Amino acid sequence: MTTATPASPNRNPSHQRRPLRLVLDNPVVLKELRGRMRGARAFIVLTIYLLLLGLFTSLVYVAVAESSTSAGGQVNIGQIGRTLFAGVVAIELLLVSFIAPAFTSGAISGEREHQTYDLLRTTLLPTHWMVLGKLLSAMLFVLMLLLAAIPLQSIAFFFGGVAITEVLLAFVILFVTAMFFCTVGIYFSSRTSRTLSASVLTYSTATFFTFGLPILLGSVMLVFGLSLNDMPSSQAEIIALVIVGGVLSSNSAATALLTQSILINQQSAGTYTYTLSNGDTITLLSPWIPFTLVYLTLTIVFFLLAVRRVKVVER
Amino acid sequence: MASEEYIIHTHGLVKRYGKLTAINNLSLRVPQGSIYGFIGPNGAGKTTTMRILTTLISLTAGEAYVAGYSVLKHQREVRRAIGYMPDFFGVYDDMKVWEYLDFFAACYDIPERERQPLINDLLALVDLAHRREDMVEKLSRGMKQRLSLARTLAHDPEVLILDEPASGLDPRARIEIRELLVEMAQMGKTIFFSSHILADVAEICTHLGIIESGEMVAQGTVSEIRQQLMPMREITITLLDRVDDAKEALMTITGVTDIVDLPNSEKRRRIKVSFSGDDAGVSEMLQALSSRAIPVVNFAEQTHDLETVFMRATKGIVS
Repeated sequence: MTTATPASPNRNPSHQRRPLRLVLDNPVVLKELRGRMRGARAFIVLTIYLLLLGLFTSLVYVAVAESSTSAGGQVNIGQIGRTLFAGVVAIELLLVSFIAPAFTSGAISGEREHQTYDLLRTTLLPTHWMVLGKLLSAMLFVLMLLLAAIPLQSIAFFFGGVAITEVLLAFVILFVTAMFFCTVGIYFSSRTSRTLSASVLTYSTATFFTFGLPILLGSVMLVFGLSLNDMPSSQAEIIALVIVGGVLSSNSAATALLTQSILINQQSAGTYTYTLSNGDTITLLSPWIPFTLVYLTLTIVFFLLAVRRVKVVER
Repeated sequence: MASEEYIIHTHGLVKRYGKLTAINNLSLRVPQGSIYGFIGPNGAGKTTTMRILTTLISLTAGEAYVAGYSVLKHQREVRRAIGYMPDFFGVYDDMKVWEYLDFFAACYDIPERERQPLINDLLALVDLAHRREDMVEKLSRGMKQRLSLARTLAHDPEVLILDEPASGLDPRARIEIRELLVEMAQMGKTIFFSSHILADVAEICTHLGIIESGEMVAQGTVSEIRQQLMPMREITITLLDRVDDAKEALMTITGVTDIVDLPNSEKRRRIKVSFSGDDAGVSEMLQALSSRAIPVVNFAEQTHDLETVFMRATKGIVS
C-alpha cells in the first residue's frame, strides 16, 4: 500500500462572493450533468421528445393546411404559419410540463434512497447550493430540449406570419413553465423520503396546473355567470376583464395563445387596449407578464421551502 | 475543563426519541491522535452518538464538541474538521470512481486544479488507483468501503468518524480496512470508530469506550479498561509437587485473595491464584516460590482478551 498525504485543501471562502460560481462551479450541477448525459438515456429522451413533437407538428400542419385551403380557395399562408407555431408551442408546453418534473422529483429523495443524503449534508456544501444545483442541472436539460425544438418551430417561418417577438415570448413562457414544474418537483422531493411519492405529488400538481386549474376557474366563472357583454357598469366590466385575464394567465397554454393573439391583432407585446361596451378604451397588461410574475414568485416560494426542508436538522 | 486535549468531547449528552432514551448522560472523551474504538451491542446508541457528532441530528440535552467547536453552534467548522463514514455506503449510479471523489472534494470547496492530484493520492492510499475509471457500483464491497475511507480524507480532516467500518466485510477486506486505519492514524488523524466486533478493536485501538443502552460502561486506554473491568488478575501456576507449601507461601503476599486447585494433568499440579495487586506483587509471588525451592514448572498470568472484558462489561445490562 502506498503512503500518500492528501493535499491540504485551500480553504478560501471566496466562492461566497462570486454568484456566477453557483452555476459554473457548483459540484452538484457538474455531477448531475455527468450522470445525466452518460450513456444512452439522455439521447433516448431527446429522440422520443423530438419524435413526439415532430409527429404532432405534422398533424397540426395537415389539419391547418386542409382548413386554410378549403376556406374559399384562397390560401392564407401567414395563417398556416401562425397556427403551426402556436400548435408546436402548445405541444412543447405540454411535453415540458410533464418532462420537467421527471428530472427533479427524485432530486432530494433520490439522495435519501441512495443513502448519500447524509454524506452531502456533512460536507461544506451549503444547502441552497445543493438545491439550486439540482434545479439548474434539470433546467439545463430542459433548455436543451427547448433549443432542440427550435428547428421544428422554425418550420413556421417558411410560411411567414410569425415574428421574432412571438418566438421570444413563447420561449419565456416555456422556460418559466418548465422552471416552475422543476421547482415543484424539487419541493416534493425534499418533503418525501421516496421518489415514487414525490413523483406522484409532482405530477398531480402539474396536471392540476395544466388542466385542473383552467377547468376549475372556468366552471367558477360559468357558475357566477360572468359574461363580458352584459355588465351593469363599466366598473364591473373592468373587474370582470381583470378576473378573466387573471384566470387565463394562470395557465401557460392559455397565456401563450392569448399573448400571441394580442401580438397579432394589436402588434403589442407589453400591453393591449380593450374597448368597453360604453365606448371607452382601457389598457391592460399582456397575459404573459402577470403569468411570468406569478409563476416566478411561486417558483421562488417552492425553492425556499425546499431549501428550508433540506436544512432542517433531524430530531 | 481540559477539553483541548480531547478532539471529541461530550458532556452529559442525552438524546431522546419521544419516550425512548437512546443516549443517556454520555460523556465521551476522545484524545487527539488516538484510535478510539466505540464498542457496544447493536442498538446501544453508537450510531446515534455519531450522528450527533456529525451534526446530522440534534441532541436533547448536554454538550458536544468536536475539534473545539460546538456541534450545535458551529456546524460548519465541525463539518470541516470531520470525515464521516456512515454504516452504509452511499453510492451514486452512473458515476466513476474518480468522479465520486471529485464530487465530494468539490463539495468541500477544494479548487478544481487541486482535485486531480488529490484524487490520485487518495486512490493510491486506498489501493484503488487501478479502478480509477470504473463505475462505482461495479466495485466489490471491500473496495467501496475503501473508497468511502478515501472520501472521508478528501478535505484533510482532523478526525475521522467511522460507523462500523468493517461490518459486512470478508476477513481479508476487514484486515485491509484495519491496516488503513492504522495508516491514517500515522498520518496524524484521530480515528473514532464504532464496532460490535471486538477482534477488530483489540489489535489497533489505543482507547476504548464501551457503551450499552445509551450509557458509557467504561472508557479509557485499553489497559485501563482491562484494569477497570477486570480488577482481579488470575495467575496459573504449575508445580511438580509441594502444593500446600506453595499455597502457604502465596497467601503471605498481600493482594492474594483466593487460591483454587485446577484439574491435574499428568504428574503436574496446577493452581489458580486470584490477585488484586500490581506487577511488583506478581514478581514477589515468584520470588516467594523460588526462595522456598518449590518446583515451579510454569507461572503465567491469564490475560483476558477483550472479548471476555466486553462480555463481563455488558453482561446483565442488556435490556
